[in-house]
Amino acid sequence: MNDLTLIRKNLFRKKLRAILLTFSIMIAFLIFGALGAFYNVWTAGVDLAAANRLITVNRINFTQDMPIAYYSRVQSVQGVENVSHANWFGGYYQDPRNFVQTFAVEPETWLSVYPEMVMPDDQRAAFITDRTCLLVGADLAAQFEWSLGDRIPLNSNIWQQNDGSSDWDFNICAIFDGAEETAPSNYAVFHYEYYNESLAFNRDRIGWMVVTTTGSDINDAVIREVDALFANSSAETETTTEAAFNKAFLEQVGNIAMILLSVIGAAFATILMIVGTTMIMAINERTKEIAVMKTLGFPSPRIFRMVLAESVLLSFVGGLVGLGLATLIVNGAAGALAGFLPGLSMPMDVVGIALGLMLALGLITGVGPALAAQRLSIIDAFNKH
Amino acid sequence: MFSQTLAVTMINLRSIPQRWALSLATVFSIALVVAVLLGFLAMANGFRATLSSTGSDDVAIMLRGGSQAELNSGLSLDQQRLIEEAPGIARDAEGEAIVSGELYVIVDGIKRSSQTEANLPLRGVGAAAPSLRDNFSIVEGRMFEVGSNELLVGQSVQREFEGFDLGQSIRLGTNEWVVVGTFSTGGSVFESEIWADLGTIQNLYQRGTSIQSIRAQLSSPEAIEELRTYAENEPRLNLDINNEVEYFAEQAGGTSDLIMFLGWPLAIAMAVGALAGAWNTMYSSVDTRMKEIATLRAIGFSGSSAAIGTMVESLLLAALGGLVGALAVYLVFDGISASTLGSGFTQVVFSFAVTSDAVFGGIILALIVGFLGGFVPALRAARVPLLAVHRSS
Repeated sequence: MNDLTLIRKNLFRKKLRAILLTFSIMIAFLIFGALGAFYNVWTAGVDLAAANRLITVNRINFTQDMPIAYYSRVQSVQGVENVSHANWFGGYYQDPRNFVQTFAVEPETWLSVYPEMVMPDDQRAAFITDRTCLLVGADLAAQFEWSLGDRIPLNSNIWQQNDGSSDWDFNICAIFDGAEETAPSNYAVFHYEYYNESLAFNRDRIGWMVVTTTGSDINDAVIREVDALFANSSAETETTTEAAFNKAFLEQVGNIAMILLSVIGAAFATILMIVGTTMIMAINERTKEIAVMKTLGFPSPRIFRMVLAESVLLSFVGGLVGLGLATLIVNGAAGALAGFLPGLSMPMDVVGIALGLMLALGLITGVGPALAAQRLSIIDAFNKH
Repeated sequence: MFSQTLAVTMINLRSIPQRWALSLATVFSIALVVAVLLGFLAMANGFRATLSSTGSDDVAIMLRGGSQAELNSGLSLDQQRLIEEAPGIARDAEGEAIVSGELYVIVDGIKRSSQTEANLPLRGVGAAAPSLRDNFSIVEGRMFEVGSNELLVGQSVQREFEGFDLGQSIRLGTNEWVVVGTFSTGGSVFESEIWADLGTIQNLYQRGTSIQSIRAQLSSPEAIEELRTYAENEPRLNLDINNEVEYFAEQAGGTSDLIMFLGWPLAIAMAVGALAGAWNTMYSSVDTRMKEIATLRAIGFSGSSAAIGTMVESLLLAALGGLVGALAVYLVFDGISASTLGSGFTQVVFSFAVTSDAVFGGIILALIVGFLGGFVPALRAARVPLLAVHRSS
């Protein structure tokens, strides 16, 4: 009988207790895994932001627009690689509840500032030449069961055409996917010209510009120069890095990170207390037994290691089951939530942190009882009862 | 029978100090479960309370047909004139229809909590706007003057965002404004807005004479039907007409439901985890008193009294945990001010509200944990064999 067998036997000597403890550890790691995956997707916009990509919006607020003339002026700024522009279309499909995230963009430059939008070359060419083309993300296409070649109308809840109608007809001539799994593909883009030419009001205005610089080291210089171009005009601009822009937008919803941390903290405080006290009790019950082992010549460090290994084993069994369940849940929910949280999956860094937490939990709950067992004096233990 | 049960229960409760660490762990783990649940519910209820206290059923809000939200809508002055002549609309002492054409633009404010920019509605309003809001009052300072660059700021905006103190001048985009007053509407959404003169806003933001929404005082809540019939028969009007209560109730739904849908499953998952702890505690409570219970059985105490004693101990620990959790949330979170992005795409400031319903729900959850955690151990206590008297410990 080696140490591992002994540890395993000790752990499961009271089966029900071991199962209950495993179960509550499992729940904590289930919560950690699921919330970690959610948070990863939630902040994906910040993590995925290209280091050399800037967003230029109206200084009043990003919902205010600016003249189209700004676009060509930014192109000539030193250090600017590419510029594109976009308008929020406020699209829906057939019913106002079927919201479709749609932007009217300058097609060719849009694909060069967002190289993570990937599609076959012929579809790329078709999107650039066909002015009624709607370039649809794979997740969005799946959501509405659209396929290549479909002709569909999209309504706008903001814009109207000259004839008073609010629907534009599109030809789905290209479908893009994200280069990385977490890159969103739950939106659609189409030609700004097609949108602008028939607008009943607000013509020749753009919502925002996306600028790529020749290198992230000159971001600050480009930001200053772009904003200086339009200073003291009726539409001053505010340029920030894409990461900063996305982060500020998430902050508007609230301090999600703090809420999630509190929940995870509460879940771990719970198991720390339950497992910690139970481990102390479990070792207390075995006082006599440990004294016998010591009498038989088991060295104290070995006993220390065995008790510690027991709590670490417990933590890993519960933790791995919980993390596995979280992965199943996350993968199961990914399809249903694709439109809302694209790219939901169990990220490797959450797995890494979880493994670290399992080790930490095992050590913290085990170290006290292990020390007590190590220091146990044989005489005292036998005199106890 | 009753005295037996009472006696066993007292023995149970008096022995809790022997297992103080485990019992304390149970109490605190249940307290944390209840705290998480109540934290989420306080958020959801606070948000809902802010939106549901907004609007009255005798105010109609009109938007361009199909626009869904004020921000997307666009209406003309001519359309407002047509509404002023419409049936079902209340008139003031001078016989003027109580109708307010309004427009808002989104501006950036600096959120105090995160020091980041967040969307605030800068609403251009006319003279009728205050009378169309229940409980409107100017708390400090005065109303803005027509045609000026003066701001009247909602109390919530002043609380959550920087730079809106009375007398302060503030730059929103390209324009300088002066804060001349703050207003309250009794905690409703309008307090999350900044008000200025309609003409000034139209002018500064090149909106001509266009507006986004028309609010009108109805002569009675039922009069909205007359107004709808009138608008449908008037080809120059393509409007969605709702009463304000419905309009805001619809807006409250999504966000507060989302918070609830997150809060309950999390709390239930944690409750299941805490259940394991409670079960374990009660199990060891029975375990360590095996001999004692057997002795009681031997001298004629019934099995059910032993079971009830265990159950009472479990429920008591759980209830204590529930109370501690509820009290902690109440002390820490109740009334805390927070803001999130509302459906108008602007910040809605709300206060966490720990309601008695939520506390009740939390305690019930705690008791369920206590009951389930105590159930099997209690059965075990009832079935302790008499021979256990002789078992050595």
